[in-house]
Amino acid sequence: MVSFGRWWNRHGLQLAVILLVLGTVWLGRPAVAVLLRELYSRLVAPWQARPAVLEQLRDSRVLELEQRVSELQRQNQQLKTLVKYQQSLNLSTTSAPVIGRSPSHWWQQLLLAAGRAQGVGESGVVLAPGGVIGRVMSTTDHTSQVLLITDASSKVGVTLTRSRAMGILQGQGNDQPLLRFFDKDPNARVGDGVVTSTFSTVFPAGLPVGRIVSINWKATPAPEATVELYAPLDQVEWGVIQTYASTPRPEKLDQLGP
Amino acid sequence: MRLPLAPKNSINWGRNLLNGLITVVSALLCLGLLPVRLPGMELVGIGPDWPLLWVVTWSLRRTPLQGLVGGVVMGWLQDALTNPATGGLWPSHAVGLGLVGWLTARLEKDRLIQEDFISVALIVFAMAVVNETAMALQWSVLGSRPLTAVWTDHQRLALGSAVLSSLWAPIVYLPLSQWWKRQTLA
Repeated sequence: MVSFGRWWNRHGLQLAVILLVLGTVWLGRPAVAVLLRELYSRLVAPWQARPAVLEQLRDSRVLELEQRVSELQRQNQQLKTLVKYQQSLNLSTTSAPVIGRSPSHWWQQLLLAAGRAQGVGESGVVLAPGGVIGRVMSTTDHTSQVLLITDASSKVGVTLTRSRAMGILQGQGNDQPLLRFFDKDPNARVGDGVVTSTFSTVFPAGLPVGRIVSINWKATPAPEATVELYAPLDQVEWGVIQTYASTPRPEKLDQLGP
Repeated sequence: MRLPLAPKNSINWGRNLLNGLITVVSALLCLGLLPVRLPGMELVGIGPDWPLLWVVTWSLRRTPLQGLVGGVVMGWLQDALTNPATGGLWPSHAVGLGLVGWLTARLEKDRLIQEDFISVALIVFAMAVVNETAMALQWSVLGSRPLTAVWTDHQRLALGSAVLSSLWAPIVYLPLSQWWKRQTLA
């Protein structure tokens, strides 16, 4: 007891200070993050809207439109045969410049300069020239953080425009996500276009994603394809955020985030 | 405490306040730089690890306990920036940065190595690898990512982060260490 008293006299203050510091930071860290992001968005505002890399963005845009046309034709065909085909798609969109990238090496994220004040809600779908790129994870008043579909925790239900073969597109942390087919023998070729599938609960169906650049037929349990995104993620300067109310479905094929 | 403290009757409150302010602002600045990618500041899509630079600078002339606390604080704040929505506990940057703070202080640099920014760059290089390894180990234990993918990523990220961070180390290290050195001498 005496030795504890002596120890307390010597180290008590130090311990109290450390606990106070750790406690304050632990409780205050979300607030600090919000503060930093808001400050950051104000600071970088003057440097936004550079008219760079327009050429590549335009190329991506053409690819996206080609993809959209073929997807629409396909859908139109289906509509003629199906009796009740409905999809609730709320088209309120906000466009915002990209003001930052992932604050940690292990995540693939973007920071957009639009937030709650601009009507952006969590789980909004983010598009860029070239197609869908991710989903809003969190918002502050003037920023929103986007989890890209290339992040390792991102899984999106997708389908091929040509053959309707379905699978899950999973990020790998680099710019080429992996498509895992459901079928053991999917009708797929290199160059096939990939769009979000009707079974996706977080993304509206039929949004262009990318095209297949290689297929590994030997993968188990089903073949896997490497997909190249139409949107050049390292050069994306603007994002369009689409609010999307997902309809609850029995099949939950995809999910984003842990 | 290795830092010589001023006698109790001559505590200079204005100076202490300024010192505290500079410490906090420099830490926040390092966190605020994280989403920035300027040309030349980027290698294979990643930027310098600014919080790591701050923690190494902080820990070099402090006790291991102070280094650990500084690292954990920076790690928690980086967690909040990375994923404020879920507020999940793991994987946390606090593990890696806390370890970095503790190890850096344990090096007892002023006894072993000459203090210049080249040796600081070497320490930063090693600590960046330690930091990324701590993260990769957490991913491996969590099992939410395939193990092979984690360790291929680790190679790329550790090397990229180590090279970039050690190149950018003087920017954080020189002004901050000069300031803290003057504080202890005054």
